[in-house]
Amino acid sequence: MADYERRNHGPRGGRKRRYRDDDDYDRRQRRRYEEPLVVKVRRQLLTIAESAARRPEDDALNVAKSVAENYEDEELRDSFIEISLDLVLEQPMKIPFIATTILVANTIKSELVTDVLGRTAERLQSNVNTGAWREVKLLLRFLGCLQCIFEGDGIFAILEELFSRAVDLQTASSEDLIGLELVKIILYTIPYVMASPATGFESQALSLLEKTDIIASTPHALVDLVNPFGPDTDRSSSVASVISLLQSQLQGESTRGWGLACLPRPWNTVRDGDEPKRLQDGPKHTFPRITIPSPVRNGSRAIFPEVYLSVYGDQDIETVPPTSDITSSLLRDALVDTLNIMDFNRIATAKFLIDVDCYFTPNIFVKRATPFDRLRDVPGDRSTWKPEDVAVDAVFSQLFQLPSPEHKLVYYHSVLTECCKIAPAAIAPSLGRAIRFLYRSLDTIDLDLSHRFLDWFTHHLSNFGFTWKWSEWIEDLELPAVHPRMAFISGALDKEIRLSFAQRIRGTLPDPYQDLISEGKEKDNPDFKYMLDSTPYATEGREIMQLVRRKAADEEIQPLIAAIEEHASNLGVENPILPSTDAFVTSICYVGSKSLSHVLSCIERNKERLLAIGPKSPSARRQVITSVMEYWVDQPGIGINIIDKLLNYTIITPLSVVEWALIDKLGGGALLAQTHIFEMISATVGKVTNRLRQIVAARTQPGLYEPQLSVLDETLTREKNDMRALFQVIENSVVSITGGSNDELMERGDGSGNLPEDEIIRQWGKRWLRVFRRKAAVEEAYINDAMANATPVGTNAPTPPPVPIEENAAAAAVGDGDLDVADADADETASIS
Amino acid sequence: MTIPERRNTVERLDRPSAYYIGKNKKRRHNDESEEQKDPMEGLRHATTLYVGNLSFYTTEEQIHELFSKCGEVKRLVMGLDRYNKTPCGFCFVEYYTHQDALDCLKYVGGTKLDERIIRTDLDPGFEEGRQYGRGKSGGQVRDEYREEYDPGRGGYGRAYAEEQRRREDEEYGPGR
Repeated sequence: MADYERRNHGPRGGRKRRYRDDDDYDRRQRRRYEEPLVVKVRRQLLTIAESAARRPEDDALNVAKSVAENYEDEELRDSFIEISLDLVLEQPMKIPFIATTILVANTIKSELVTDVLGRTAERLQSNVNTGAWREVKLLLRFLGCLQCIFEGDGIFAILEELFSRAVDLQTASSEDLIGLELVKIILYTIPYVMASPATGFESQALSLLEKTDIIASTPHALVDLVNPFGPDTDRSSSVASVISLLQSQLQGESTRGWGLACLPRPWNTVRDGDEPKRLQDGPKHTFPRITIPSPVRNGSRAIFPEVYLSVYGDQDIETVPPTSDITSSLLRDALVDTLNIMDFNRIATAKFLIDVDCYFTPNIFVKRATPFDRLRDVPGDRSTWKPEDVAVDAVFSQLFQLPSPEHKLVYYHSVLTECCKIAPAAIAPSLGRAIRFLYRSLDTIDLDLSHRFLDWFTHHLSNFGFTWKWSEWIEDLELPAVHPRMAFISGALDKEIRLSFAQRIRGTLPDPYQDLISEGKEKDNPDFKYMLDSTPYATEGREIMQLVRRKAADEEIQPLIAAIEEHASNLGVENPILPSTDAFVTSICYVGSKSLSHVLSCIERNKERLLAIGPKSPSARRQVITSVMEYWVDQPGIGINIIDKLLNYTIITPLSVVEWALIDKLGGGALLAQTHIFEMISATVGKVTNRLRQIVAARTQPGLYEPQLSVLDETLTREKNDMRALFQVIENSVVSITGGSNDELMERGDGSGNLPEDEIIRQWGKRWLRVFRRKAAVEEAYINDAMANATPVGTNAPTPPPVPIEENAAAAAVGDGDLDVADADADETASIS
Repeated sequence: MTIPERRNTVERLDRPSAYYIGKNKKRRHNDESEEQKDPMEGLRHATTLYVGNLSFYTTEEQIHELFSKCGEVKRLVMGLDRYNKTPCGFCFVEYYTHQDALDCLKYVGGTKLDERIIRTDLDPGFEEGRQYGRGKSGGQVRDEYREEYDPGRGGYGRAYAEEQRRREDEEYGPGR
């Protein structure tokens, strides 16, 4: 790798010397050399359109000239083509500018463009084959911008072919999503073709649009599943599917002469010296031949319907384009692709987002960092769209994407953090308005999303000194504890403390909030309840703790456990193992309270006894959870963490966690409002579904034969049933709250079930149900999709043709690996954890 | 022939640091006969990260809270002062998968924990002994000679503070 070339200065010498001043001078002298053309072209191409101070058309012209006039320089040519295509695929906002470069090159040396098209075709074909539809979309956009250099219908032939595949898929199944994806590609290509220098394609575009209408405008069965707002809320109807929006926006554009105001037209303003350059007059090319398989397949990214969410949709002044304007879709699409493609450099991503006004028609935005209040002064015929709002909105659309975004949520956090670091004055107020919108939506937004909001909000504040205008929510502190806003505030403070410490967070809060941070939160080591003589079994509890502390052998602990159990039996306690378990587990928590590693080594030392508790009874398993969560009642985050580790050790089971929360502790349902309970159940369910996906991956790997196939299939069936049982327990418990059959809920107050809080709790129930029903559906769909192409059970290995010995050994090794996965439940800690 | 990995149009954040590559280079200089090795080889499947520039007061729980945003944390080893066995401002975080470790480099490295910008670096894996500071006085080397006051990392560098004290003693007489 060239980056790691070794320099030729003696051993060790090189590094230190760099810091000596006189030498520094020398180095600069040596560095002054003529930049090779290939390096210059590379730099110009990579940074095209990035600076508002330069005309990108000029750079396009310079690059095109340099390469076209040195066509015989193979390195230059090659690097130009590769970088152009890399940019198309990685920095989609630059596509019109790259296309301009190609169009200019075509007027000078059309062979170069023939090469470009050849290489584009290769990449397009391979992405079509693997079902990488985003990449297909971007390459088609690039070709669409070049429409004027193609013979005949150019790009429309392949768009028509994609459409016919979409029809096949839609006819075959009403639940089809790949067909929808193809239609989306067609729709996102059309505007770029119509904004390109090509003319006279209105009728082709219109005829395609007429055909796509039926598919794009029919609501998909799964679109409710991904709506960020609950189905029976006002906001729900305001969220339209991306594809239906785009369809109607394009139809609107077609009646207005394809104005497409937001798309840049660098190709119209290329000047050679003072001469305007006409790019559409260059030689024509045949459109590259691409074979589209039938049926097409999907790649590694799961497809779900997409809806258009904006956190700036309900303001009195428009700061982002409204959904009636095609600008909303075109900007969102380019920004979201940039965001999702560039996850390998969040700082560069943030820069691209902030520079969004460089890549589209500049006058569709107000000047950067224009304060919201100043927008009132903007004359009526001018845009009030804030570039930073448009950019941030795109990030939120991904952070709040259901069922889940392409990358880990923390990626989107980190991009918002970087945006805020690069342009604090512009971005921070935009985030503030987004936070207020989300806060106001807390009672209607999907529960999973309200937790993503909570998680982002607190993580974000932790990067900016925990400063937030808490004073504006003071009125809401009067609300009942189960109110979504109150639950959010309490949950946020708890999360902030987890990232920091109680005293620090206390210092950031106005007075009325102080009571929300209990004294217990400031205690690093919570009290050991057996220190109080009034606690039952106090003496034994203290002795057990001492033994755990001095790492005594299990035989020494046993007599005290027996003593508690006997004592309890004499008191008529039905289940004497519960008080003994409580004393033991609480002791472990107390002795291990210094840190996570302390408690882990404490658990490790007492693993055998802990593992023996579970099989004795389900209620004993749940007692373990009770003891942990009660010890850490003021810092539930630590409790959840320990529960998570206990799951890895299989000391408790996922089912016991769910039953503990949603049966034992459910009470009248108020618990559903506690953010850490949702976090705990989500994490537990996540563990189960992750494991199942691992098993599915093992079961569906190619080249698997009997007997492993059957072994894995049995494991899969068993675990799938366990997962369904888990979801069923959640369903049944929560339904009792929403349906009003929960005794405690009904017996509170006057027994009418009509207290103001009762309605709030029923709403919590509905939101819980929606989340876990969706999770269950998504997992079922995942398994079904994956299994559709799996080798059927009973398939035997083909008689192997004679092969060299080494290869045979390698094949056998693969077989061994499979068996390991099948046996995984015997060694659950290894794979589930 | 294998296809060379495609170069990205902007730098990737999930590469090992110059520190790691530099360390490898030095070793190769000392032993020229050794076959030229890809410096990335030891990190191809790395699941561990070195985390630096922590405050001495940052707890395991805080680290866990942040780092579990990139995936389940398998193991967390706090860096300790060799003599006092107290945290000395670094740790190792081990994930279950290589991908989680890379994601952490991309999304968490260079952000704040406990209000300090933290540094993450891909690491070939924790070995017993590496949890201790390698500085003369037991902490990290960087905390020996640091001339800036850092309240989160014990004030001035220890050797530097020691030197300052000695100089003051010389000037104003000992035991002021």
